[in-house]
Amino acid sequence: MRDNYPDEIHPREVANKSSKESLQKAIRMALRIESDALRLNTQTFNANRYTAVGKLEDYEELKDRAREIKESSIRNLPDLIERLTRAVESRGGRVFLAKTKKEATDYIQSVCQSSGARLVVKAKSITSEEIGINHVLQDVGIEVAETDLAEFILQVSNEQPSHIVAPAIHRSRERISKLFKEHFKTEKSLDTGEELTEFARDILREKFLAADVGITGANLVSADEGTILLVESEGNIRLTTQLPAVHIAIAGIEKIIPSRKNFGTFIELLAASGTGQPLSSYTNILEPPLDLPVLNLNGREDTKREFHLVLLDNGRMKMREDPDLKEALYCVRCSACMNVCATFQAVGGHAFGGECYTGGIGGAWTVGTTGKLEDGRFAELCTGCTRCVPNCPVRIDIPRLNTVIKERLMKSEGGASLEKRFFGNFSAMAKFASLAPTLSNWINNLSASRTILENVASVDKRRKLPSFSKKTLVREYEEYRKKNAPPFGSQAMPRRLVLFADVFTNYQNAKVGMATVRVFEKLDLPITLSKVMDDGRSAQSQGLLDSARKSAVRLAVYLKKLIDDGVDIIVAEPSVLSMFRLDYGRLLDAEGVFSALKSHTFDPVEWLNGFADRNSDFANRLESRMKPAARPPEIFYHAHCQMKTIGAGTAAPEFFRRLGLKVETSNVECCGMAGSFGYKKEYYDISKNIGRDLGRQIEKSIQSNASVIVLASGTSCREQIHGELSRNVQHPIELIDELL
Amino acid sequence: MPGTDLIERFLAAAASTTASVETVQRDDEALNDALLRSAGDGPIIFASAGDVDPNLFSRFRENEKVISHPTIDEMKTIRVGVTDAFCGIASTGSVCVSIGRELNGPVSSLTRKHIAVLDGNTIVPRPRDVFSEEYLGGKGLRRSFSFITGPSATADMGPLVRGVHGPGKLHIIVLV
Ligand code: SF4
Ligand code: SF4
Repeated sequence: MRDNYPDEIHPREVANKSSKESLQKAIRMALRIESDALRLNTQTFNANRYTAVGKLEDYEELKDRAREIKESSIRNLPDLIERLTRAVESRGGRVFLAKTKKEATDYIQSVCQSSGARLVVKAKSITSEEIGINHVLQDVGIEVAETDLAEFILQVSNEQPSHIVAPAIHRSRERISKLFKEHFKTEKSLDTGEELTEFARDILREKFLAADVGITGANLVSADEGTILLVESEGNIRLTTQLPAVHIAIAGIEKIIPSRKNFGTFIELLAASGTGQPLSSYTNILEPPLDLPVLNLNGREDTKREFHLVLLDNGRMKMREDPDLKEALYCVRCSACMNVCATFQAVGGHAFGGECYTGGIGGAWTVGTTGKLEDGRFAELCTGCTRCVPNCPVRIDIPRLNTVIKERLMKSEGGASLEKRFFGNFSAMAKFASLAPTLSNWINNLSASRTILENVASVDKRRKLPSFSKKTLVREYEEYRKKNAPPFGSQAMPRRLVLFADVFTNYQNAKVGMATVRVFEKLDLPITLSKVMDDGRSAQSQGLLDSARKSAVRLAVYLKKLIDDGVDIIVAEPSVLSMFRLDYGRLLDAEGVFSALKSHTFDPVEWLNGFADRNSDFANRLESRMKPAARPPEIFYHAHCQMKTIGAGTAAPEFFRRLGLKVETSNVECCGMAGSFGYKKEYYDISKNIGRDLGRQIEKSIQSNASVIVLASGTSCREQIHGELSRNVQHPIELIDELL
Repeated sequence: MPGTDLIERFLAAAASTTASVETVQRDDEALNDALLRSAGDGPIIFASAGDVDPNLFSRFRENEKVISHPTIDEMKTIRVGVTDAFCGIASTGSVCVSIGRELNGPVSSLTRKHIAVLDGNTIVPRPRDVFSEEYLGGKGLRRSFSFITGPSATADMGPLVRGVHGPGKLHIIVLV
């Protein structure tokens, strides 16, 4: 059915992303048809989650405990499976361990057939999508009624889920109305949420009252008592498990946790992280077969309740042996990583997802359960912005999983393409170009060279390329030092300061680097410049992990020595700072080196703000150091995605408020440029779609005050905003330099 | 008194889930009045797992329109269902309703309106406390049940709609 997919592409046709073409087609379809509903719905979930987790006093500890429980469960999985089997069987239920999809569907089919089932009611279960049970049952003449309203919509439109918690999140009310009107050809009015709900409810109530078998998934299963946790808000799971005499639950083996008591750790965390509620309407704790008498509302004369727990392996045991993919098994399917993700907000799981698993975590799950690397190609849509990392209730490093998939996919497809090498080796390229920056900038923007770049390295022609500074930071700094002796320094300064000459700042943003030096020294804080070294960021973002690791190790040795000598490292480029404070934890083997880097590297404004926090003298003098200005500027500030993740995103607004200035901040998670992502031809449209979201916010701010100053710490954020609004965008330190 | 504080927090949280909630004296006449008032016209199906003192329901059970042993047809057409709850959660306003030998489970899920009766002494601070030996004599560790938090709801059809497969109205009576 094409219903409201007017063009040639229906989501089902491009559900499998093993080819680059299907990924491209899916992106085009999603941006054209699904994007508006997706953005609205995911951003609502996202905002609600921030509120809900804010109310959980021990949110961080709960996440730690949840992670520990999941780690130990996966470690002891074989033992847990045995205990669970004994527990369920001792109550009269049956457990079937299915190694493959086929084994699982064969078993379920035989249970349904031997109970003479003609109608099965089904609750939402991504695992049941994974095994494709509906088609198997329908092929042998058994009707399957999806009872979750979102799944009901998808059953009508024959689409795969676009989100693991709200599978029809890509459909607006209008598009659902249109679909139902065409499909059901009814006289009834179907123009409001209430009417649509009532209509579907009435159809499904009949199914519930007639059903022979109920099929559900499971959020978690406890090995000690064989208890299953099923969270829902509509009440269909309650009916599915209580009305028919036969209940089949399908659960991946990774859902098993040791004890029923452990549910206490998860229930609030799941509800808050998922739909952003204190608890969903129904949190069901079931020990089937239930004691509840058989109701026989369907007119049958069943005398006994039956329960079958189908535990699905289908690649999970192999994932458990995989040092990288193993982490995905900790996932509790809350969907926080989707709602927070700027890419997902723009295109949803029909593009950023496969046949059943979606979003940032979907790549690892797709690869793990289909066994085919290329099925996880949509992992390319992860920009590595890291916004999901602090929001995952089991602390999974999701961008890392995607980097691993990109790396493996690249190796399996014959090594790094020119495109990957181009983007992955910024350092060498920049060094070369900076030998003659004016010439490079000129060549860069010639239409002929842009065509070559687009064809060879997939750099989208419509993007203005970042230009190279006329002089590198190193040269500018040398000239500055010749004229300016360092200040004496303040007694209160805890450690000496060195500005790290990262490749972006050195070759492209020398003025940001120099503004940093000047600001510190105007405030009597002497600062020197480090050597220029590559940090591995560009290589990592292309999945070139070996090369990223080499750069990381070399640089870490150098920086660690400085830190040991009593130096704090100032880093002007947020994506580089985030390497030191986040990614190096994985790239470096030496834990001690990472923790030194993590605690002694700072964004320039973050360092100043922290210093002012601890040093009231310095703080008090700040305002008086400002040049007298006719009118104090008002500021719009967009915090870089990774800066937010490492906890440095609020420093600049706080510092400006110390200076007595008014600051408005953006609430978009990421600008959508994300380093090289937005330059790539394949992803240009997604990137622009996300950028427009930020652009709209800034425009609103400009409408109320035309002279508002727009600030962003990240180089790529500034380029994105500039591309959207053709407006000058500064690094916060540049404005401070002007103010002092 | 910590007890009163828990009840206050429970009432506020339950109201924010859009359930309606009232406190009623621990007395069979008072409870009967409250139940009849909130149930409105028509038959009422009643199921109790013995989690709230059964004597408190003695007056209510005498009403002709109260059905304690429903037929299949009565279950299929249920509009108002009354059940007891074995505990309430102060932070979320949830009630925990057993799913066992009595019909609490289906009565609270098939009906259009669910009235849950809760003893104010069985309110615990947080959801996780139900899974601890310290609270409720470990009751939460030994049974099938549902945390019910507000009416059944969906956002799948666009805007938030209350009343889907489960009750669109939840009324909670807290006995004090
Ligand atoms: S790192 Fe960013 S882009 Fe990647 S999955 Fe997480 S939120 Fe999405
Ligand atoms: S990876 Fe984490 S955030 Fe994403 S669905 Fe799984 S548990 Fe939730």
